[in-house]
Amino acid sequence: MAVTIELTYEMTKAFGEQRFDVEVVPTVADAVKVAEQRLGEKGIQFDELARVAAVAVNGVLVNHRKGMKTKLRDGDTVTFVKAAAGG
Amino acid sequence: MIKGYAGRILEVDLSTRTHKFVPLDEDTARLYIGGKGYGTRLLYDRTEAGVDALGPDNPLIFATGPLNGSVAPQSNRFAVVTKSPLTGGIGNAACGGSFAYGMKRAGLDVLVVTGRADRPVRIEVDGDRDEVQILDAMDLWGKGTYETQTLLPKRYEHAVIGPAGENEVLYAGIVSNERIAGRSGVGAVMGSKKLKAISVIGKRKLEMDDPEAFREYTKTVRKLFEEHPVMGESLKRFGTGAIVNTTNGRNILPTRNFKHGHHPDAMKLSGEYMEDHELVGVKTSCLHCPVTCGRDVEIEGKGRVKGPEYETLALMGSNLEITDLKNVNEWNYLADDLGMDTISLGATLGFAMELDEKGMLDAKLAFGDPAGVSEMIQDIGHRRGLGADLADGVKRVSEKYGGKDFAIHVKGMEMSAYDPRGSYAQGVEYATTNRGGCHVQGASMYMESTGPLTINPMNLKLKADIPVVQQNLACAINSMVLCIFTTYGMIPKQVHEMNPNSMTYKIITTLFENSGPLMRKAMGMKGKPMMWFEKWLTFITGQTFSSGHLQEIGERIFNLERMFNMREGMTAADDTLPPRILNEPTFYGMASGHPLGQLLPKYYKNRGWDAGGVPTKKTLDRLGLSA
Repeated sequence: MAVTIELTYEMTKAFGEQRFDVEVVPTVADAVKVAEQRLGEKGIQFDELARVAAVAVNGVLVNHRKGMKTKLRDGDTVTFVKAAAGG
Repeated sequence: MIKGYAGRILEVDLSTRTHKFVPLDEDTARLYIGGKGYGTRLLYDRTEAGVDALGPDNPLIFATGPLNGSVAPQSNRFAVVTKSPLTGGIGNAACGGSFAYGMKRAGLDVLVVTGRADRPVRIEVDGDRDEVQILDAMDLWGKGTYETQTLLPKRYEHAVIGPAGENEVLYAGIVSNERIAGRSGVGAVMGSKKLKAISVIGKRKLEMDDPEAFREYTKTVRKLFEEHPVMGESLKRFGTGAIVNTTNGRNILPTRNFKHGHHPDAMKLSGEYMEDHELVGVKTSCLHCPVTCGRDVEIEGKGRVKGPEYETLALMGSNLEITDLKNVNEWNYLADDLGMDTISLGATLGFAMELDEKGMLDAKLAFGDPAGVSEMIQDIGHRRGLGADLADGVKRVSEKYGGKDFAIHVKGMEMSAYDPRGSYAQGVEYATTNRGGCHVQGASMYMESTGPLTINPMNLKLKADIPVVQQNLACAINSMVLCIFTTYGMIPKQVHEMNPNSMTYKIITTLFENSGPLMRKAMGMKGKPMMWFEKWLTFITGQTFSSGHLQEIGERIFNLERMFNMREGMTAADDTLPPRILNEPTFYGMASGHPLGQLLPKYYKNRGWDAGGVPTKKTLDRLGLSA
């Protein structure tokens, strides 16, 4: 029973890993807290890096779901994704 | 003559080795601007149904627009229009570099090449002397695009083909400097004419209606671009490779022949990773462009060369399950030197790998394994062995070896690097774009997946509206001729600075998502010029261009392309997506594929077409396209 958390490039550079699994937490807000805690343990300023990142669950931005209250299920991937890139 | 145009067309017949200058038609210029629009009109009028795309009667049209020859940022692009040997329908491609500038300086709005030489030739145009020479090019035949350009006369601007064009690889392109008019197989058409290169020179200056206003305003726009989060920061710092992490995070990065939209190691293909590990420099690449999206990398034995851009990183990287940039760098160089479109090439290699995996083809190629890929790229470029089959693209390979369910193409053109299962509007655009599966004929994905203010990409709202306005706008942009990146600046810096997880963001995107008819109406309003490209056109030509004017012109061009395709036998059945995209979910939590069937009827209606996808008489009358 796990949720995968994937980090942005900048977060990965600072943290040393791109993704990690956590036990299923109820909502996206909880997953974000876990990420903040994990990165915080390494002295990383999470807020600064997360400010420009959208959060997606299985590729869909949470803003198109129920925001930070979006519920999570076993197998979901929560991704911090660079919001705008071009095309 | 309207300001902004040189006022003449050069027509070269390689069969008779003759040429003539004819005046540019002002009415056509008013209705189609130039570039792709003018070229499409010429192609439609000068060909008959069924013309052999690789035969002497298919004209190869190089066309500039009124912005070319100016110092407007991103304006050094030319369009190539012809019947596509890849799709059998309308073919076009645009290219940066410096050839557009050279054409305008030589006093050429348009260059039309017809016929076929009996041996390799090149064309040299001295516009100031009105001198056109058709010269022997036997010594250049067989050489790569890089070497060819070094052997051509200095001071001229060149457009050349490599061995892929000579060997009529159906996705061969035409190269100027390090840029390529890649799509539609325009290089194969040039090769079929035994035309290796075109070189132009001249000192003519672009005449403008209000040069002072243009100059002053351009300074403002340049500053805006330099400070813009996408054009001045993201693309400038990381190149288009910056898109990899965004598309991967949103599950629309082609992976394993579009089986998936996400690759766990895609970060190693990104522009950010390239900057940290592979980048040796940045080049401006196209004249007068402040974005400088070109990257330089180093490859063994060749030194510093142009690095891969997003489409190549995706189609020749994650799509093949290759995440070592060094491989992609090398393959990108090979493809450029041979003169091939890396989108179609990557998609064809990915398809061959899946056929091999399923035991349907012994290609000796495997996902995740770089072995044999370089050799196969060479074989394709020279049409050797199995490479001769792969040189015909995914559609024809699937007809010969099977695998139509996972053959990733639209109308015969391989699909570019945005998986529409996570980007529904882009899927509608792929399905309906006249040249086939391409993203720069509208770039709808920017409004739902890769831009700063994206609507929900996976519901039906606005998905049949966005492609219409985006395709129209892109037709106009490709007729000025500007780089499509200019449209990315339309969303202001303040929007980029919004927190994408905030309630404000949600409210704005929700309102936008529900704005369908209103949005199309707003874009269609004729008034004063607002955007920089509208103002530039107005300052240069002296005519008024607003969003509404451009939408109307773009719509005219789009419908004329549609008419060309219909004349060639295409129907609504060709407005489709690959079975894999329609039927297979791509990621966890997704129930099915792309809902194209629910969106097409509304798209047709929005276009003023009947239920069978045919433009109605009313629509054609409105656009001045009735016979």
